[in-house]
Amino acid sequence: MVTLGDYLIVSGILFTIGFAGVMVRRNIIIILMALELMLNAANLSLVAFSRFHVDPSGAPNYNAQVFVFFVITVAAAEVAVGLAIVVALFRLRQTTHVEDITSLKF
Amino acid sequence: MLLFLVLCPIIAAIAIIAGVPARLTALVAAISNLFVTLALLSRFDRVAAGFQFVSSFLVSADWQIHFAFGIDGLSLLMLLLATIVTAAAVWFTGRIDNYERAFYACLLFISGGAIGAFASIDLFFFYAFHELALIPTFLLIGIWGTGNRSVAAWKITIYLTLGSFVLLIGLILLYQSLPATTRTFDIRELQAVTAAHAIAAPMQRHIYLLLLIGFGVLISLFPFHSWAPEAYASAPAPAAMLHAGVLKKFGLYGLLRLAIPMLPDGAHYWMYLLVILLLGNIIYIGLVTIAQKRLDWMLGYSSVMHMGYILLGIASANILGTTGAAALIFAHGLSIALLFAVAGQIRNRTGTLLFDDLGGLAKVMPFAGLAFGFAAFAAIGLPGFANFVSEILIFFGAIQNGWEMQRFHIFQIATVLALWGIVISTVYMLRAYRSTFMGTINERWGKLVDLGTGLRLPVVLLVAGLIWFGFFPQTLVQMVTPTFRPYFTATK
Amino acid sequence: MTFTTKSLLPWLVLLLPLTSAGVITLFTRRRQNISALISVAAVLGSFTFSCVIFGKNDISAAEFSWIDIHGVFTVPLAFVLDDLSKLMLLVVSGVGSLIHIYSLGYMRDDKGKSRYFAALSLFMFAMLGIVLANNFVMMFIFWELVGFTSYVLIGHWFERDAAANAAKKAFLTTRIGDFGFMIGILMVWMATGSVVFDDIVAHLSKITSNPGYLTIVAILIFCGAVGKSAQFPLHVWLPDAMEGPTPVSALIHAATMVAAGVYLLVRVAFLIQASQTALLVIAWIGTITALLGALMATQQSDIKRILAYSTISQLGYMVMAVGLASNEAAMFHLFTHAFFKALLFLAAGSVIVTLHHEQDIWKMGGLAKKLRITFATFAVGALALVGCPPFSGFFSKDAILALAYERNMSIFVIGLTTAFLTAFYISRAVMVAFLGKPRTDAARAGKESPLVMIIPLLILALFALIAGLESVAQHFLVVPHEKESVFTVPALALVALILGVGIATWLYRNRERDPLHLDLVRRRFYIDEFYEWLIGATQEFLARIAAFFDRWIIDAGAVRGTSGGIFGLGAFLRLFQVGNLQAYAFLFGLGIVALIYFTIFR
Repeated sequence: MVTLGDYLIVSGILFTIGFAGVMVRRNIIIILMALELMLNAANLSLVAFSRFHVDPSGAPNYNAQVFVFFVITVAAAEVAVGLAIVVALFRLRQTTHVEDITSLKF
Repeated sequence: MLLFLVLCPIIAAIAIIAGVPARLTALVAAISNLFVTLALLSRFDRVAAGFQFVSSFLVSADWQIHFAFGIDGLSLLMLLLATIVTAAAVWFTGRIDNYERAFYACLLFISGGAIGAFASIDLFFFYAFHELALIPTFLLIGIWGTGNRSVAAWKITIYLTLGSFVLLIGLILLYQSLPATTRTFDIRELQAVTAAHAIAAPMQRHIYLLLLIGFGVLISLFPFHSWAPEAYASAPAPAAMLHAGVLKKFGLYGLLRLAIPMLPDGAHYWMYLLVILLLGNIIYIGLVTIAQKRLDWMLGYSSVMHMGYILLGIASANILGTTGAAALIFAHGLSIALLFAVAGQIRNRTGTLLFDDLGGLAKVMPFAGLAFGFAAFAAIGLPGFANFVSEILIFFGAIQNGWEMQRFHIFQIATVLALWGIVISTVYMLRAYRSTFMGTINERWGKLVDLGTGLRLPVVLLVAGLIWFGFFPQTLVQMVTPTFRPYFTATK
Repeated sequence: MTFTTKSLLPWLVLLLPLTSAGVITLFTRRRQNISALISVAAVLGSFTFSCVIFGKNDISAAEFSWIDIHGVFTVPLAFVLDDLSKLMLLVVSGVGSLIHIYSLGYMRDDKGKSRYFAALSLFMFAMLGIVLANNFVMMFIFWELVGFTSYVLIGHWFERDAAANAAKKAFLTTRIGDFGFMIGILMVWMATGSVVFDDIVAHLSKITSNPGYLTIVAILIFCGAVGKSAQFPLHVWLPDAMEGPTPVSALIHAATMVAAGVYLLVRVAFLIQASQTALLVIAWIGTITALLGALMATQQSDIKRILAYSTISQLGYMVMAVGLASNEAAMFHLFTHAFFKALLFLAAGSVIVTLHHEQDIWKMGGLAKKLRITFATFAVGALALVGCPPFSGFFSKDAILALAYERNMSIFVIGLTTAFLTAFYISRAVMVAFLGKPRTDAARAGKESPLVMIIPLLILALFALIAGLESVAQHFLVVPHEKESVFTVPALALVALILGVGIATWLYRNRERDPLHLDLVRRRFYIDEFYEWLIGATQEFLARIAAFFDRWIIDAGAVRGTSGGIFGLGAFLRLFQVGNLQAYAFLFGLGIVALIYFTIFR
């Protein structure tokens, strides 16, 4: 049997890979992809929790799965906006390397 | 009537910013305030206890905050001081070249803040009115000052704000330490509550220490005094008069009004610390004053030094000492105001206040010499002026504290050292007077003009206040002692 | 309080000069001559009323309460009117009146006449207050006021650096004495609970029960007298005070203010005489002062300074008498000294003004022929000073010497030596200034002073002559009588006198300059230099250290340090704002890990 813990481990690994990607990769688009990976890792753990959480009366609990739909929608919107910002930034700075964009340095 | 007293300067200041003629409005406001105070003085009932002429408006029922004012003997004395010095300061303001309206508005805000603080019997507004006066001080020193004015302005403002912050913590702690049902900001009720069931002793000690440091910074208690000399040296004369004469006394008034009545255990616990610190004020700062080579720095340090005497009176925790402290607050305020006023006039005319540069000015400015002479001799405790009366009350009050014939107690040593401080003050004051007004005159100053007849009135006003209470001290004593009598019935 | 004429008289005596000072300051500053007349009128009024009071045996004055704090601390404004104060009233207002009249002539051409007479009136007010005060605080008030008016009068010609410095020195030195005085007053009040003299006498046992305490109190109160009466070591202000106009020197620094110290000691004799140690200290300080003053007078060339040191020396005699527990002898000498010293000063003033403010005796000479009356009166004063019978000084000084002979032989010997020196220095002054030939043109052209200055001289000369005779003096005070040695002491004193006069005459006859050069004495034993060094080494040094400490340690250290610390903290925190997205993300992660750690595992 695949237990809840197994799903959570997978979700954690995915999350870590995504987070590492955000921290390490230099290209903004790759960072956005890694960000998506983190979001989906969260989705996976949410579904896993929903699948393995059964009410005492026997009915399954679908709250988390509904929440996953929210997350997917928000992720999509966020990617759209993020890519729009990346395009505008590229037009301004001609670069997609995140290390070159440091205007907020003190 | 009190409401008029408090609001008049503030409304006048706002009006001046709006555009009415500045000097005229300021003078009218200051003088009418003075007359109102004198009217209050004549109608004041010396025998009745508690606050009189109370007017109160509820601001917040949840927190029990009232816009409330009332006076008793002590606050009436403070109001008298504030109004006299305000009138003199406004009068002494000469020609202001830039932003004249803002200058007068700032002066009036400071005055309004001080008067509001002294007249307030609600703790919230007591603190708030004092804060009102901080920013105008910053502006006055920073814009119209001389010398190293921006450094001085920043230093005084940040230092005093820090002090107010510590004070605020203390006041909040005081409020919180009352039983929950009786919590209020009204000073009368606070006094009643703390008299009925006193605050726990350990808590009292903490609160008192915070209040001591908070008020101490505002008073320029050693070692929190460094803001004072530079600020007073750089400030324009009217600002120095108002600050050294009136605003600084807010801290002392706070100690007398809050700390002594409500925190007797705390006061007793920290008595020795206070005595050591005030001796630092008297002896250490006294010595520093001797080493000064400029009149404005000397006056700044000397005002710090005299705070030590007032604190000695407060520390002695008996009716003699505290009456003397209240009297010296009044006397010192008037004398230092006059000293700064004349110094400012000299600086206007000669551009310098270095002792080496000045000399023999009494020949060309005899009235200035006379005025400065009065103020200087008042400051060193010459009988005939109120300062002498207050100082002997303080000495007699302080020396009897803890006295036994066989041994010496710290208060006796402190009193002896404080008396030596009088000798120190004589040294520097006479040296200053001699270097400035007596001796051979430098040819540069041969053509100086004396103080105009218009300026004679404020000088007479200040000197009259000093001489009146110097000759008839019982009037002051009768006004002030009822405030302290409830707290010192057990001891002498 | 009943307002009969009797109870108002003392108040009139006291307040007339004050009114005069007030009127002059406020109203008549421009009309100099009117100011002068107001002042003279006031003091003459005081004198008249003093005479009336002296005549009445049973007089009391209205009392007021100056400060009253629930009986814990009371300072009354009340007078003590016993024989002692009535005598002092007469002396002070009498000599004061004469000097006021004299000043009309001396200060005729002075530009600051109003200021001078206002201060002089204020001085009379303060001095009469000291004499009349019935409690320590009231006396202290007038004590300080007298010091203040002395400051104003010494610094009358304030444009002169020497005068400005002298005024400051005088006030400061007496303030040091007042420091001790005040501590003494505080200690008395603590023990007895009152500052009023009569109350203290009633409760005296509370102090006398503790001999150490009593001695300290007595010596501290004596400090006030040391300052005001220019005893060693606080005598240094008196010679410098000669920068003031000569009438001021006569009134304040010869006849009255300096005598206030002696008066104080006599007034509080109940305290002082209870402590043998204190008496001994007082006697010796008086003796040392007497000797020192006389020694220093022998080498001075400024006539006023000779008289100043002479005053120091004679005050030493009075203090010596107090220390030998005879108030009568001290008061007797105070009484006679007031007359002959004022006389000497006023006569010197007459000389000075005639010679256009020349004070160096080596620039005088032969004045005996030109200024006959001045010379005659000066001679009378000098004879009284040296104690030549039948002049007044003989009786009073003799009383003191006899006292010393009886009670303390070493003091007697020194007193006798001082008498010799007294004769020496004053004869020297007479020889050089009045006899012989004129040394300068100014001296040759000298002529007698106007009548308004001569008449006071004559009146004072009369008193200098007769005030010592028992038939005269007994109306004023208790003339001391010593039982033994009726002849030994006067004989020895006369020997000292003749020796002094003789040696001085032999040394100084017909000289152009001083044959004696005793630097140690001439430089006044370097005491002034020593004080300057002492003040520099202690006060100035400490002041500079304190100022440095304040400027650089407290100010730079604490204040700038705090602001620097804040800036440093800001700079450190700024390092986190790198603008790099990925760094921020890293910090995010760190934060999350910390959060998880603290919520789950703690």
